Amino acid sequence: MRRSIWLLLVVPLICPPALTAQTVQNATLRRAQQAFENLDYRQALSLGHASLRERLTGFERGRAYELLGFTYSGMDSILKAVDAFKQVVLIEPERDLDPNRTSPKALSAFQVALTQILVVRQLRVDSVEFIGGQGAVAMRYTVTQPSRVVTRVTGGTSGSMRIDSTVANGQVNIRWPARMPNGDPVPAGNYNVVVEATVGQNSFSTSQPIRITHGAVDTLPHLTSLPGYTYLPETEVPPKSWRPMGLALVYSGIALAGTSALSNGDLGSASMREGGVIGGGIVLAGFIMTLKKPAPQPARGNILYNSLLREQIARRNTEIAQENTRRRQQVALSVVPLPRAGAGR
Amino acid sequence: MRSLVCAVIVLVPGGLSAQHVSIGPQVAFGDYREVSSDLHYRGTGLGAKATLMWKKFSADVVLSKVKYQPTSDSTHMDFDASEVDLRLRYYITGPVSAELGFMNRKADPEFEAQSVGAVTVGARMAYVLGPGVHMSLNGGLLFGSKFSGGGTTSALGALQLGLGITVDALHGRVLVTGDYGFQRFSRTTNDGSGALPAPIQQSLGRVGFAIAF
Repeated sequence: MRRSIWLLLVVPLICPPALTAQTVQNATLRRAQQAFENLDYRQALSLGHASLRERLTGFERGRAYELLGFTYSGMDSILKAVDAFKQVVLIEPERDLDPNRTSPKALSAFQVALTQILVVRQLRVDSVEFIGGQGAVAMRYTVTQPSRVVTRVTGGTSGSMRIDSTVANGQVNIRWPARMPNGDPVPAGNYNVVVEATVGQNSFSTSQPIRITHGAVDTLPHLTSLPGYTYLPETEVPPKSWRPMGLALVYSGIALAGTSALSNGDLGSASMREGGVIGGGIVLAGFIMTLKKPAPQPARGNILYNSLLREQIARRNTEIAQENTRRRQQVALSVVPLPRAGAGR
Repeated sequence: MRSLVCAVIVLVPGGLSAQHVSIGPQVAFGDYREVSSDLHYRGTGLGAKATLMWKKFSADVVLSKVKYQPTSDSTHMDFDASEVDLRLRYYITGPVSAELGFMNRKADPEFEAQSVGAVTVGARMAYVLGPGVHMSLNGGLLFGSKFSGGGTTSALGALQLGLGITVDALHGRVLVTGDYGFQRFSRTTNDGSGALPAPIQQSLGRVGFAIAF
């Protein structure tokens, strides 16, 4: 609790310079903005021009020209509005007007201004991760006039590498494989993507810092099973059967009937005591075996299926091992755009 | 017989590692009849059975000694019947095996009953009733019968029938055994006045256990 109170006290002391950098401090310019909001365009114009003669920050200068552009648009002085917006774009090439909060006249003057000066805007480098040699970094930018545009990557140990050169107008998309001229992946480090547009004597360049890091390529885990395929039991319990009891009765019956049939009539009736004891034991064993759960029997179909499944998994694991060997020799490139230091020129 | 017992005792342990061997004691009980229904004996005794199995071959050696007592007429005396059965089997197909062997039974006192010896030829059917439970049915003819009191039998006049069961216990280390054997000799004698029937018939049951190696 005490720590948070200290933070509340300390943060405003540190932050004001940063916050005020993006707010208008100049009194004349603030008065000009106030006059514009009061629809006093003449006052806004005179105060706006007056503020430009004073010492302004870059941000304030851009706001001053923007105010002039809006004011001239409101006064239907389109050419002057275009000139003012040109200054805005030269000071802040990335500047865009909110179409929902800007009058159509001002928007059209701003668009005309963009077409009359050469700037490279909205340079974007996508954050991406890929295996060296198997992917590319996507970049895009917008050039406002037809011009020769050269894109280079500078920094690191490789000096400067030209990655694209084209005559373009409007949005341009580039895919950079992040490879050196000899095919090796670009070494890890901080780089700058520099886009330079030239037409006649005019040129404009902008840059986007990026950081490239190297990492190990993920290897594939070995398989213990194939998705959707499970091992089947290699034995199965046959259904209960009265066969043991039946066979026991048949065997015992044959023995006893045979004894009776084969005994000599002169010797009296045959003794069934011995055969009865053993036969009774067999019938009892047969009855117990009938009631008992049958012993599991090998399931040939399932054994064959499991064998094929094991063979398939072994084959796939061999392929994975080869793939992993290959991947361990590769490098994973990670490209991340860094915050820009300033606007282009 | 004594030499056979010695041979079994000496030779069987040496071949134990060959394949499955089982050996164990049995209690025997039997019914013996001779010539007419008047000579009727019943008795009990002890026995032993050894079995050796090697590939498609198997052999049974069965020894038994039963003390028979007359069932009714006291004028007849008790006698001991010592019997040796040796059977060699060869597996043919399905449940069927062929059997070849011999049997010898000696009566003591010698003149109280007939001693007999014969060569046995037959077949055996075996079936597995369930896990560890085997039963068998065997039958065959007894050729070349020799009797201590003389006499002969025709080619089909002497035959035998048998029934057996073994039940595994203690993970197959011990077998409970039960066997039934029926023998009939249609013996005829001739003292010069013509052929006289003097049949011999025995039913013998044996129950015991065996240790398997």
